[in-house]
Amino acid sequence: MIEIKDLHVSVEGKKILKGLNLTINAGEVHAIMGPNGAGKSTLSNVIAGRDGYEITGGSITYKGDDLLEMSPEERAWAGVFLAFQYPVEIPGVNNTYLLKAGVNAKRKHQGLEELDAFDFMKTVKEKAALVELDPSFLSRSVNEGFSGGEKKRNEIFQMAVLEPSLALLDETDSGLDIDALRIVAGGVNKLRSPDRAIVMITHYQRLLDYIEPDFVHVLADGVIQKTGDKSLALELEEHGYDWVKENK
Amino acid sequence: MSVLAQTQQDALNLFEKIGLPTQRDEDWKYTDASRLKDLLESKVSGASVDIHNLGITELDAYRMVFINGVFTANESNLPQGISIESLATFETSNDNNEKELAKLFQVSSSDPLMNGFAAYNAATAKDGAAVCLKDNSKLDKPLYILHVSNQSHVIRHGLMLGKHAEAEVIEHFISLGEDKALSNATTAIILKDGARLEHSRIQQEGKSQSHVARVEVKQLANSSYTFHGVELGGILSRTDLVVDLHEQGASCSLNGLFVLGGRQHVDHHTRIDHTAPHCTSREHYRTVLDGRSHGVFNGKVMVHEGAIKTDSNMSNGNILLSKNAEIDTKPELEIYNDDVKCAHGATIGQLDDKQLFYLRSRGISAEAAQELLTFAFADEVLVAMSNQTVRSYVEKAAFAKLPHSDDLEGLLSE
Ligand SMILES: Nc1ncnc2c1ncn2[C@@H]1O[C@H](COP(=O)(O)OP(=O)(O)O)[C@@H](O)[C@H]1O
Ligand SMILES: [Mg+2]
Repeated sequence: MIEIKDLHVSVEGKKILKGLNLTINAGEVHAIMGPNGAGKSTLSNVIAGRDGYEITGGSITYKGDDLLEMSPEERAWAGVFLAFQYPVEIPGVNNTYLLKAGVNAKRKHQGLEELDAFDFMKTVKEKAALVELDPSFLSRSVNEGFSGGEKKRNEIFQMAVLEPSLALLDETDSGLDIDALRIVAGGVNKLRSPDRAIVMITHYQRLLDYIEPDFVHVLADGVIQKTGDKSLALELEEHGYDWVKENK
Repeated sequence: MSVLAQTQQDALNLFEKIGLPTQRDEDWKYTDASRLKDLLESKVSGASVDIHNLGITELDAYRMVFINGVFTANESNLPQGISIESLATFETSNDNNEKELAKLFQVSSSDPLMNGFAAYNAATAKDGAAVCLKDNSKLDKPLYILHVSNQSHVIRHGLMLGKHAEAEVIEHFISLGEDKALSNATTAIILKDGARLEHSRIQQEGKSQSHVARVEVKQLANSSYTFHGVELGGILSRTDLVVDLHEQGASCSLNGLFVLGGRQHVDHHTRIDHTAPHCTSREHYRTVLDGRSHGVFNGKVMVHEGAIKTDSNMSNGNILLSKNAEIDTKPELEIYNDDVKCAHGATIGQLDDKQLFYLRSRGISAEAAQELLTFAFADEVLVAMSNQTVRSYVEKAAFAKLPHSDDLEGLLSE
């Protein structure tokens, strides 16, 4: 689905990613772990198309296309979704309107009819139930006044409605208490499917108890240092990131 | 000479003394009033027009219609038992509160922001709404005052809310045709102890029309005043909003929205006097300026010596959609005692990058995302409107003036 080759990225002249390689196939769940400041959010932002990042080398191919040539909205239409580490508040923009506009823009791009308002609301309510998001959040402004945990839940709810092919979850688990974590993880598990890839960025092994990854990668010093299965996360927990660098 | 006639004569004397403002006056440096000199005089002729489909037709309200400043009784619909009349008829009343209304014609050179237009208004106004609510009375429906004009005219409304009285008043200004004309409109308000008024003023006049307004509010103890000033129409529009928090515990909330394009010029000068202790003022103005439009916001809060425990907050946000649009903003705070909580600030900016990216990452095109955020920015001021019919009318009118692509159609049906 996505193939990242020798990716070099700088922010404000500082090299963050230094030749990163990563291939993700449909149906797979990947976890990316790594110390603070390693560049995990940088990687997910670059995939989603945020500007302010200088791509100094390498390539990203998504479903056969050059992803780096696409605008953020084109990426969204093609099925890329980023659940933000810090979802922004947008006063005055209704949560449901945002999703409807997003879904319909994608459909329009695919040459499909706009969704009927009634069907859309039905879907939205079902998906909100999936992450146990109170329906009152639907009519509120995007993330405005939401608690940290509610924002994260709202991100997964949006993912459920937008039905992406490639979902990047940037520290969706941080700021969630154990009950909320269980609910959100349950939602994500229901969204696992053979034609969808999910990438979880996390600090903590505990998320992986709920959503079992096929692969675990350790990102440090701008490259993937080590790849393994979920036992790698346990080893990391035990030995720390320095151990990874020493035992490549 | 009647009290009113004498008051008007005094106003005329004042007008002759001070004349119209010029750009040498600090308060008028951005607004060229000389353009309005030839339009000052009323040209009253009873235009006969079909106004049935004009204004906010879906609003369930009492209605007063003024055509070129003249009360049009057959288009109006007024409540029983509450004194809402044309100013032209109240002068002969014996009622004390109504007598007090006559005082609302008094102008003095020492009034804040006093100027020739306001003096001329007081001197020559022949008609307007005279609303007088008895103590403890509540207007069960909003009063909607529709002004339809195609000629220069002067209009002066007086609102007097007795103790603990409550009302909502919506003033709406629209034009017939595109003639050059000047509306010179004053609304003078007294809120007695515990009275509550929500007052909207929607200026939506024609492309060639100019508008000069003054709203002055005197608030007695624990009264509450909420203002929504919406500027959409006209070529030149100036409003002076003067609020005196005269007695303890009074509070006001002033909201303003300009959505301008072309060569529109809109200037609001607001002045809040914290005269008494324990008063609260909130002020929130936003402008969205496109084309070669020019917005001016000057918000002055004056906290007087005895006004301890004053709580005042003012904010002004502006978005310029075009390189040729211009905003001059000046929040001013003058404080003459230490025991206060005051904050004010103004921003002039483009849209927030993080918000834009968030929307685009959800599949909304760059263009639609900008338009959506612009609309949301403007709409934030309207959140304070409690009347949803009025709010949605204004939202639609504002939306129509903002750039919007097909993708955004449907936004307002949510
Ligand atoms: N917009 C930015 N401006 C300046 N520095 C940035 C910006 N975004 C990220 N960085 C820097 O890039 C590095 C990687 O950040 P980030 O990708 O957020 O790390 P992680 O998500 O792994 O904690 C950090 O040193 C951070 O300070
Ligand atoms: Mg991060």
